[in-house]
Amino acid sequence: MRRLPVYFLLDTSGSMYGEPIHALNNALSGMINTLRQDPQALDSLWISIITFDRDVNEVCPLTELAMFQLPEITCPQSGPTHTGKALELLYTKVQSDIKKSTENQKGDWKPLLFLFTDGKPSDIQLYNEIAPKVRNLNFGAIVACAAGNLADDSKLKVLTDDVVHLDNADSATLKQFFKWVSETIEQGNKSQGTGESVALPPPPSEITLVI
Amino acid sequence: MSTITVKSILNGASYQYVDTGEPKSGTAKNVYFSPDKKYVVAIFKEKQDFNQLDRLKRIASVQLERIKKMDGGDFFLDEIFRWPTDVIEYNGKTGIIVPIYKSNYFFKKGYSSQDLIKGEEKNGKWFAGAKFRNKQFPLSLDNSELGNWLNYFQICVNICRGVKKLHQMGLAHSDLSYNNVLVDPINKSAVIIDLDGMVVPGVYPAEVIGTADFIAPEVLATKHLSITDPNRKLPNIRTDLHALPVLIYMFLLHRHPLKGGKVHDLDTEKDDLLSMGEKALFIEHPRDKSNRPKMNQVSKWDQYWSDIDKLPYTITGPYLKPLFDKAFIDGLHNPMARPTAEEWETALLKTSDLVQTCGNSSCEQKWYVFDNTNTPKCPFCGTKHQGTLPVLDFYSQFKEGVWKPENHRLMVYNNQYLFQWHVNKNIIRNERLTAAQKVPVGYFTFHNNKWVFVNQKLTSLVDKTENIDIPIGGMLELADGKQILLSKEEGGRVMLITLANK
Repeated sequence: MRRLPVYFLLDTSGSMYGEPIHALNNALSGMINTLRQDPQALDSLWISIITFDRDVNEVCPLTELAMFQLPEITCPQSGPTHTGKALELLYTKVQSDIKKSTENQKGDWKPLLFLFTDGKPSDIQLYNEIAPKVRNLNFGAIVACAAGNLADDSKLKVLTDDVVHLDNADSATLKQFFKWVSETIEQGNKSQGTGESVALPPPPSEITLVI
Repeated sequence: MSTITVKSILNGASYQYVDTGEPKSGTAKNVYFSPDKKYVVAIFKEKQDFNQLDRLKRIASVQLERIKKMDGGDFFLDEIFRWPTDVIEYNGKTGIIVPIYKSNYFFKKGYSSQDLIKGEEKNGKWFAGAKFRNKQFPLSLDNSELGNWLNYFQICVNICRGVKKLHQMGLAHSDLSYNNVLVDPINKSAVIIDLDGMVVPGVYPAEVIGTADFIAPEVLATKHLSITDPNRKLPNIRTDLHALPVLIYMFLLHRHPLKGGKVHDLDTEKDDLLSMGEKALFIEHPRDKSNRPKMNQVSKWDQYWSDIDKLPYTITGPYLKPLFDKAFIDGLHNPMARPTAEEWETALLKTSDLVQTCGNSSCEQKWYVFDNTNTPKCPFCGTKHQGTLPVLDFYSQFKEGVWKPENHRLMVYNNQYLFQWHVNKNIIRNERLTAAQKVPVGYFTFHNNKWVFVNQKLTSLVDKTENIDIPIGGMLELADGKQILLSKEEGGRVMLITLANK
């Protein structure tokens, strides 16, 4: 049956060290718990997590929600933000993970991508090269989330029009953001309006949505 | 946390709710509990326009009064619906007051492996799908939550009765889905929720087209047209009659009737739209087999219930099979051919007279429908029936001296009961039965190696074959070919006994 693959690209560069990385871990585990209480999500959702700092790690390959084990996300005390390199890995992963439709087999739903960062890409050249390519892959939605005043919304606009800006990366804000993420993931299963195509649900009021 | 008082815009009544800052959030509403937990205040996230507000007011006043006054109104309001009882306004937002769900609609245990959903609502989806019944699945439901196969017939009967009542009132639910019913397979009950979007054609237009999996093919096939286009199809009573059998099929067979292996388009979204809409095809269509599930593409958790060769829809028995044919073959693209809710209710009830207990004590389903063969076996675990099996066929008087079969059969098992609705054709098994009519009139038991019927209440029971009266407290043996007159009163039936599995 069709799967709904969801990729999380998480910034674990030095600036996340300390409270922000704790807040991120809490928010992620809250989101996974919420999704695990949703029979619809358990029916189709597959999740992958890729982290990026100096190195890029696929900390969880694409895994069915019920089987998913959330690892502790850690980060070095300092170091660059290799967003470009992360997108490069994502680009190859998406190509190999996603089941395409054939005459005889139903393919996966279009995947979703959530990118979370609190800074600017350090590998700007690679980033500028790969971001449009990722954008042109057949994603159902790409949401980039920029947290704090160091994050650069304009760079993220190369990747997607849906940029959410969080004022900071504290516990409450992240929790609310990931609650919104789970609502976005779950919305395909809800009652559909009589109007035209479904857009992202409105983000919580504390968040600025840059469109 | 604070307690907030709100006022009705219908009659000035006041209500309270506790604002924890984290309401239960649905698609359209945030839901808060009253301090005494007797009702909820569901506040719409979006501002309601004049028409929406008018609809809510009428549902909570005129329509509520109508159903209260109808036959069995209390039954429907207590057991079948959570009907909005008032409309409030607070800080410019609109809300409705809805009686709270009974406690049996919240999980007592939930998953067998952890407490994540303990205390959460028993949304129908948990019980429609196959995964949550598969013990290998890491988040399967605990056995104590699942109930047996027969219990799902009663759940479906409740839903049918609710839909029947709405349709009698000229209302369409318009968004019937497993998300909008709560089910309790242990107490064998179901309740229909989210009634605030009901449609009356021409009066209250549809706000939603429904929930994926349940939207009627004609609605999806015309979704691209403008809402003012005369060819655009929107939810109505006939689309409820598509959603209803999808629910019944899913609760009994734990798979979707239209989700098979056929690919219509290489684009996922287009393919989905076509396979549920314009090109929708029953996975078990007897002639066009192109949409049968491909077992190598089915999730490993769903394999057991997805196998339509091992568990074809015909295991639901001779009364439901023709209705599924009407709904998913003849009526799939022809809304007028879809069976009514009452037809489904009757077929489900008649089928519950055909069930047999499985002889295998570890069979997960415990019951199955007699397959009309001489050597019946359980389709779920393959266990053969042991011993003889009495089959009773009912006849009613057509004219003086002429008795005709009624296409109604009762399978006997140990400690099976006989009821008024079997004895007399003028007593119909529905929600209007009185308490006295729900009391058994006798029972069947396997006694000293013989099947017997013990008469508890029948005043004119006659064994016609042996021509003897059977008084209350007396019993008769169920022998092959015997004819038994159940009542001499107007509408009284004769039952013909056949012993199968000899």
